[in-house]
Amino acid sequence: MTGPRELDPVIHAQARLRVVATLNTLGEANQITFPGLRELLGMTAGNLSVHLGKLEEAGYVEIVKTHRGRTPTTYVALTRRGRRAFEDYTAAIRELLDLS
Amino acid sequence: MDRLDDDDRPLSPEEMLRLIEEQQATTTRRLGGDPLLTHTPWGITWFAGFGALFLNYAYGLLSRSTALAVLFALMILSMATTLFAQRTVSGQVRGEAADRGMMYGISWSFGFACVVAICVRLSLLLPSEESGLLWAVTSMTVVAVLYAVGGALWRVRTMFFLGAWLAALNVAGAIAGPTVHALLMSVGAGGVFTVVGVVQRARQRGGA
Repeated sequence: MTGPRELDPVIHAQARLRVVATLNTLGEANQITFPGLRELLGMTAGNLSVHLGKLEEAGYVEIVKTHRGRTPTTYVALTRRGRRAFEDYTAAIRELLDLS
Repeated sequence: MDRLDDDDRPLSPEEMLRLIEEQQATTTRRLGGDPLLTHTPWGITWFAGFGALFLNYAYGLLSRSTALAVLFALMILSMATTLFAQRTVSGQVRGEAADRGMMYGISWSFGFACVVAICVRLSLLLPSEESGLLWAVTSMTVVAVLYAVGGALWRVRTMFFLGAWLAALNVAGAIAGPTVHALLMSVGAGGVFTVVGVVQRARQRGGA
């Protein structure tokens, strides 16, 4: 590969980058509830939903709707593709910093 | 932290990298990894609690019951702080990490159940100071081993070495006797845990 890599436009937005960075920190094979994620990020539910929608569309996150006891619960996790995209993105950013 | 409103503003690569690092640090901290709320309270507890016991053993400056009251009161506070540190989102995560954390947490109660059983049984047969040493050494054994195991489980070297350090002090103290054990736990264990918690937190904040 020659020259700097292109930055993934799906992640190259502050809010979505924060979502993906948070999910990546949880580690593989872990999911977090929607309210838990919202609290970690300090976002409104509406805002987070919109960004998760875009990330889901790109295949970067998986949204699982289930029940905890009788309460409906939504879990969010980074997909393998999302993890890869995040790793590529951070590598590209570091590359850009090295070049400048 | 009002980043959302200016979400569309393009950021420089430096700012993006900083954003990633900050978010990772916040997440780790909020998931119960805040060293200031986990290592440091226990450091202070041992420093003051075992320090009070040392003053009793070495110089008779405090009564034994006052020294133990200081130790136990601080232990309860530290337990509350640790639980508080893990309250926010630990119940919100499921999967491998959550299972591991839950089983690890419960393991502490297995260890201390054994300590209580052994010590209650044997304390009656020992002189007062030796019985105090028995409680202290067996309790710190559980702490040392579980710290090291925790380090191994999450591959956190600092935690592993803190466990190893505690074990070394505990062995030395057990051989030397109650007064030296209390001193080692106060200064060696308490001091080091307090400092490690503060230093790690400062590093996390620095985004390093």
